[in-house]
Amino acid sequence: MNASKLAQSLGDLDDAATVDLVQEKLDSGESALAILGELQDGMNIVGERFAGGEYFLSELIYAADIFKKAGAPLQEELKSAVQNTYGTLVLGTVKNDIHDFGKDIVATVMASNGIKVIDLGVNVEHQAFVEAIKEHKPQLVGMSCLLTTVFDDMKEAIKTIKDAGLRDQVTILIGGGPVDQATADYVGADVYCKTAQDGVIAARKVLGVS
Amino acid sequence: MSEKTAEMLFEERSHRLQTAVRLGTPDRVPLALVLDAFAAQVMGVKLSDFASDVELAGQTMLDAMELLGDVDSIQFAPYAPAMLGMAWLSPVELPGRQLPENTLWQVDEQVRIVPEDYDRIVEEGWSAWLGAYIGRYLGEAAAAGQAMMGAMPHWVSEFRKRGYVMFSPGFCGNPFENLCGGRTVKEFILDLYRIPDKVQAALDVIMAEERERTRQMVRAGGPSGYWVGGWRSAPEFLAPKLWNRFVWPYLQEMVETVVEEGGIPVLHFDANWDRELPRLKELPKARCVLALDGKTDIFRAKEVLDGHMCILGDVSPAMLSLATPDEVHAYCTRLINEIGPSGFILAQGCTIPFGAKLENVRAMVDAVK
Repeated sequence: MNASKLAQSLGDLDDAATVDLVQEKLDSGESALAILGELQDGMNIVGERFAGGEYFLSELIYAADIFKKAGAPLQEELKSAVQNTYGTLVLGTVKNDIHDFGKDIVATVMASNGIKVIDLGVNVEHQAFVEAIKEHKPQLVGMSCLLTTVFDDMKEAIKTIKDAGLRDQVTILIGGGPVDQATADYVGADVYCKTAQDGVIAARKVLGVS
Repeated sequence: MSEKTAEMLFEERSHRLQTAVRLGTPDRVPLALVLDAFAAQVMGVKLSDFASDVELAGQTMLDAMELLGDVDSIQFAPYAPAMLGMAWLSPVELPGRQLPENTLWQVDEQVRIVPEDYDRIVEEGWSAWLGAYIGRYLGEAAAAGQAMMGAMPHWVSEFRKRGYVMFSPGFCGNPFENLCGGRTVKEFILDLYRIPDKVQAALDVIMAEERERTRQMVRAGGPSGYWVGGWRSAPEFLAPKLWNRFVWPYLQEMVETVVEEGGIPVLHFDANWDRELPRLKELPKARCVLALDGKTDIFRAKEVLDGHMCILGDVSPAMLSLATPDEVHAYCTRLINEIGPSGFILAQGCTIPFGAKLENVRAMVDAVK
């Protein structure tokens, strides 16, 4: 499928053109949901280029920022749309870790790929994940850390979710500087995400987004 | 056969390390550890005490070396974790203070540098701007840095008296890391796209001052190792066009300055540097050490840099925390055989983490014997 001009401009990180094209489409009466779809196609191009080694984290961040800026005029109309996200992610840096670097980037990139993000912040109590799952009914939970010392906190947070009888309702993604597959096995997570884009790919798979 | 004296051990270990740096084959692969919170852990010292008393930290690190036995070197000692704030331009939260007891110190990264600061750095100069910034946010970090650097000569001597080499007791600045830390990664990366010329102008001003500071430091400190750190400036985070403009020229200049003055740049490169490994061949041959943390493919680094640069690493913090001693020993043996035995120094990736298993660290130490 050929990308639209708008999707291509976002994929090429053309900030000004993307903002202008969104405005043109709004002025010509196109629906906000359709325009949002094209912007998400643009983020797919960015994701593919990241996966192919052509783009790096900096482009993911910049693309997400262009997406946010270009998509701002759509928000009012989107509020009344039936569905403008594919699913929900509850996200947080686990207890005893105050780093938000990785978590914030994941939040930004996920949101620009059509996933609603409930950001619990840093140093998140185990029980807070449980409460957020009950309240927001997410399909996904993301946990981040930058310290090896909090691997046990991550493990305990997942156990707390399990003890609350909610483990089967969510797919748990983890990531962060020292995290690897062995960590995922140790803490009992479902998916280890080496990069923010890995998280997007895993989330789209869970949510059945092609 | 009589026991070796501490001075004999020191000379033997120094020679071993120098041989590795010069890409030769030492009698055995040397070790160069980073022991900070882990030292407190194994010596039963409260982390809050370790973090607040630089002399206690030095003694604890020395005691931990003795506990581990035949280790060639520690990369630096003593330690005052609050000083990390000077590298990140962000305050550090400490155990027993902002954090609970026996919780590891953490850098509190928030947006403290705003876009207008790039212009101010250019107008006021780096030192003047930094002085005011320290006054606002980093008084404790600056004091900790002074305390640590002031105590270091004494501890270099104390470690030597026990036969240990202090491998890299000097620290060089990295303009990218300074600004990125105080601005936060996301905002700084967006600045690189949206106001690149302003950022570059500020980096140039910082670099000019840091280059001279580094030159004086190496002249005073002599021919030991000097950390040239990179973490958020790792290629995995940045498009090549950004990395080539905002990272590499400054790193290269810093490394060359250290080498010109007779020091050994220890490229403490955290995160993944795979993409730019070939660029490191532009740095002076057999004069630098590439210290990897387990995220860069060390085996590819060996292929690319074989015969050009000594490699140090890379038993990851996760492995030291979660693996078994047999797994650690097997990995270290592979490193010794495939990255060494020439031009290789065995070490942890970055630092031995708080919570690492002592038996895993012993397995790493024993692997070189």
